[in-house]
Amino acid sequence: MGQLALSGVKKRFEKLEVIHGIDLDIKDGEFVVFVGPSGCGKSTLLRMICGLEEITEGDCTIDGTRVNDLPPVKRGIAMVFQSYALYPHMSVFENIAFPLRVEKRPEAEIKEKVGRAAAVLQLENRLHQKPGNLSGGQRQRVAIGRAIVREPSIFLFDEPLSNLDAALRAEMRIELTALHQKLKATMIYVTHDQVEAMTMADRIVVLDGGSISQVGAPLELYHKPANLFVAGFIGNPKMNFIPGTCTEVSPAGATVELVTGSTVTVPVTAAGILKGQPVTLGIRPEHLTQGAGDVSLQITPTVVEHLGVNTVTYADLDGVGNVSALLSGSADVAPGKPATLAFSAADCHLFDAEGQALERRVDSAMPIPAAASAG
Amino acid sequence: MMKKNAMIDRYRWWEVVLMYLGIAVFLFFILAPFIEGFLVSLKPLGLLFSTPYKFIPENGSFKAYVTMWESVPGFARYIFNSFFISTVITLVVLILVVPASYAFARIKFKGAGSLLGGFLAVNMFSGAVLLIPLFRLMRSYGLLNTYWSMIVPGVAFLIPTAIWLLSTYMKRIPRELDEAAYVDGAGHFYILRRVILPLAMPGIIVVAITTFIGAYAQQFIFALTFNSKTEFMPLPIGLFAYFGRQEVIWNELMAASFVGIAPAMILIFALQRYLVAGLTAGAVKQ
Repeated sequence: MGQLALSGVKKRFEKLEVIHGIDLDIKDGEFVVFVGPSGCGKSTLLRMICGLEEITEGDCTIDGTRVNDLPPVKRGIAMVFQSYALYPHMSVFENIAFPLRVEKRPEAEIKEKVGRAAAVLQLENRLHQKPGNLSGGQRQRVAIGRAIVREPSIFLFDEPLSNLDAALRAEMRIELTALHQKLKATMIYVTHDQVEAMTMADRIVVLDGGSISQVGAPLELYHKPANLFVAGFIGNPKMNFIPGTCTEVSPAGATVELVTGSTVTVPVTAAGILKGQPVTLGIRPEHLTQGAGDVSLQITPTVVEHLGVNTVTYADLDGVGNVSALLSGSADVAPGKPATLAFSAADCHLFDAEGQALERRVDSAMPIPAAASAG
Repeated sequence: MMKKNAMIDRYRWWEVVLMYLGIAVFLFFILAPFIEGFLVSLKPLGLLFSTPYKFIPENGSFKAYVTMWESVPGFARYIFNSFFISTVITLVVLILVVPASYAFARIKFKGAGSLLGGFLAVNMFSGAVLLIPLFRLMRSYGLLNTYWSMIVPGVAFLIPTAIWLLSTYMKRIPRELDEAAYVDGAGHFYILRRVILPLAMPGIIVVAITTFIGAYAQQFIFALTFNSKTEFMPLPIGLFAYFGRQEVIWNELMAASFVGIAPAMILIFALQRYLVAGLTAGAVKQ
């Protein structure tokens, strides 16, 4: 079993509070990703679950037992570090066997368990080499091997792929997902890379400044971000934000007058008090097209990136700031050449003055557009 | 004449000449006393005070290297004593300093900084300043005229440098290695033994070499003050035996100096090779 619960968990360094009361339940066998910009407290939170950092306030329970004061081994967790933390003077075999040697297990059992872990991770031929002779991906696998020999109920990963190059990272993502399906253990994974979060997670926890901004399935975060922070964080290129004022609230949605001069009725559930309030309209770059739409924008791209499958344009719009658009690969755009982009009201997100999202009337199980996972 | 080196390692011919010239001047400056000492050891005693003084010996021979053993029969014992005292000092220092450095490098405790500062302060006193209080201490503990009278103060004055060297080295070992071991259930002593010690080996060897050399160098003053028994005398005091009532047997004295240094030199050269190998093999690749 690997069920974990955090309730009111806080962390203070001296007087500085870095984690402000986290409540979270993680089910057995779930793959949960903590994601957020650097300094949001995601690594600290992971180290608190691990037992490397003390929990200042609140409770951390694993399978119903309060583990705040237990050392890491007694919590039944294992951790994979960002730098792998392999022992350079030991062979791959000894590295993987380390936790078992600490427990003084019999030699035969160690051989058998290390052999099994090596088979899962395709390291059988590397057991006698030193970590220094391995490639980045193989070292990563050794680090994972050292975590799995102890058969913990919860695995913790602290940005394990950030030292790998892009191609290897994509490969390891798939391997990790496959490993999760094979082991069926609970995994908590910390990353600042939203692609890793979107592709691997059952549930994503978005952290911002030491608090949870939103918890949800990847597509839920994409289609129904709860606030401006999540909306801007999930998705690449970033969602465009256009300021405006709500002029009318009707059963059809909220009518917004944008700073660009156009008016649009966004299908959201809104209360009457919104009328007259400043709002922010969010539209993802992949929802901007060169065809017709409910609202159009006149832009002059300053930078155009041709990615083959897509074309990304960046433009500066008066009163709005940066506007980026993800167009088709054959889009007829060039830097300095004015273009007209359009979007439909159904694709819009609407946020109130506090940055909280208004409920969209979309089905969050919609398939994710191909563009969202490019990056 | 030159191999194709990387661009940054290519020099014009006169740059190469200048570099070697610089090295030669520097080496001569350092080694001049040794060269002169060696030349003296080759000369017959009568020619030493000839005028005009000749640096290059006429009728030079290695005879002094034979006669020195006859003039001072106990000389081998002095070499052994020096070696023995330095070895024991080095071992004791290592046994004390390795866990102490681990504590300074890894465990947070109140006063760690001021303790390290205190060790540095001790280092600023040379042993000579403290000779009289040390003598009284030795007398109270009954250590005068034993090997311990040279070993105990030797250890005391060499510990600070050793702790500074080794704790700095251990601080450079990535902390994540300790954390990984801790997460896997290892305690402090287990981490020290299985993770830190093997990785700190090059640092430990550096500390061993500097301690050994330090112990060799500082014996003179302690031996002179705290020991009057001939059989415990180390090499530097033993050399006094060549100072006769009438005259000093300079050529044998120089020969004895070189013979006395030899074992330590051989040991240090041997360790140095191991040191370089250890540095490259144990490199922690991040």
